[in-house]
Amino acid sequence: MSLTDILPRLGASLFVTIKLAVISLVLATIIGMVFCLMSISQRKVLNYISMIYLDIIRGTPILVQAFFIYFGVPQLIQSLGFPIRLSPDTAGIITLTINAGAYISEIFRSGIEAVDRGQMEAARSLGLPKSRALIKVIIPQAIRIVIPSLVNQFIISLKDTSILSVIGIRELTQTGKLIIATSFESFKTWSLVALMYLILIKILSVISKKIERSLRNGKSSGKR
Amino acid sequence: MAKVLVNVKNLVKNFDELEVLKDVSLTVNQGEVVSIIGPSGSGKSTFLRCLNALETPTSGTVEIDGNLVTKKHTNINRIRENIGMVFQQFNLFPHMTVLENITMAPVDRGHMTKSEAEKNGLSLLERVGLSEKADSYPKELSGGQQQRVAIARTLAMEPNLMLFDEPTSALDPEMVGEVLAVMKKLAAEGMTMIVVTHEMGFAREVSDRVIFMAGGYIVEQGTPEEIFDHPKEKRTIDFLQKVL
Repeated sequence: MSLTDILPRLGASLFVTIKLAVISLVLATIIGMVFCLMSISQRKVLNYISMIYLDIIRGTPILVQAFFIYFGVPQLIQSLGFPIRLSPDTAGIITLTINAGAYISEIFRSGIEAVDRGQMEAARSLGLPKSRALIKVIIPQAIRIVIPSLVNQFIISLKDTSILSVIGIRELTQTGKLIIATSFESFKTWSLVALMYLILIKILSVISKKIERSLRNGKSSGKR
Repeated sequence: MAKVLVNVKNLVKNFDELEVLKDVSLTVNQGEVVSIIGPSGSGKSTFLRCLNALETPTSGTVEIDGNLVTKKHTNINRIRENIGMVFQQFNLFPHMTVLENITMAPVDRGHMTKSEAEKNGLSLLERVGLSEKADSYPKELSGGQQQRVAIARTLAMEPNLMLFDEPTSALDPEMVGEVLAVMKKLAAEGMTMIVVTHEMGFAREVSDRVIFMAGGYIVEQGTPEEIFDHPKEKRTIDFLQKVL
């Protein structure tokens, strides 16, 4: 098989990878924010729920999480009498979402805790309730602090999409395997696959550096 | 008789094993300027922070303008709107311009529309002599300027009591004067103020009453003349000898 046969197939599957990553990371950021707020809440129950979630995700490999969600959970639900089928794509998105969500919640929590305590005190002493103080004062500062770690997590999750090839999603890695199965062009294919990941992640880090820089200059949040 | 604005009874605050405030009672009348002096670790700042519930007292009661701060289900946010607090470290919001720092709370709490708050904010900046800094960010200002913005920020909520927690302790010496000048002006305008300070000159010149705290108690209180010129307690005398 020549390069002109391999490239279009890999290119198409690259978009599957991007789609998986983007959908999952958007959802994971939302979930991460929710669990972060639960973990800093004054309600003990919410603290425990987020702690258990975090422990489970951190304590198990993402490969096992993918198998559990794709094979394990549907079996459990079917045995309860509900006939459901999970497509590999859906299972993959769920896996990546809950996996990245846990890490992102920790990133957000550390960001919020890194904001000087005096900021919360100043906001509260002006009469703002805690929730408003978080929204107006703490979170805008925390976001700046967490951007590098958040981008790092995005990069990790983007690469973790390759693990989802085990449940049959035709993303970049899986497509590479399929091409080699018929063409035996291992070197050529894996070189291209690696290069595609590399370029994608390079683009991501360049964008994040730009965002970081503009936030550091303090202009982007100012309305005036 | 002037109206009692602050009424503290038998305030006790422990941090785990450490007893910081042992039994402090104090009343402050409307319009009064009270300075609290004393060695570090005497509980001055903790006392001040109990007044707007930044610290929760272990026991005792704090009543501000008829509202019991220490009541369990009190609406502390409403009460805090009337108590301005100025911090040692300024605590300006670094992601907002000077004017946004000042307008944020009154707009968020629904006291003013955005345009009213901006107009009011600009006149407050004029009062503290920083009109030209409205669009600057806090990090572009000197310490003294930042603290003056912090004072303007609390004034924007139109409080009837202002608490100052060592407002000049983090400043370079040459910037202390400009902050004290703003505070003197406030005092002259009749603002009720409680000031924890190491600036003995300010305490003597501006206060109606000086309180000397040590070891978690109010050891002695009186007019500036009584405390600085004729202290009665040995601990007060010892302290004043060291700092004057």
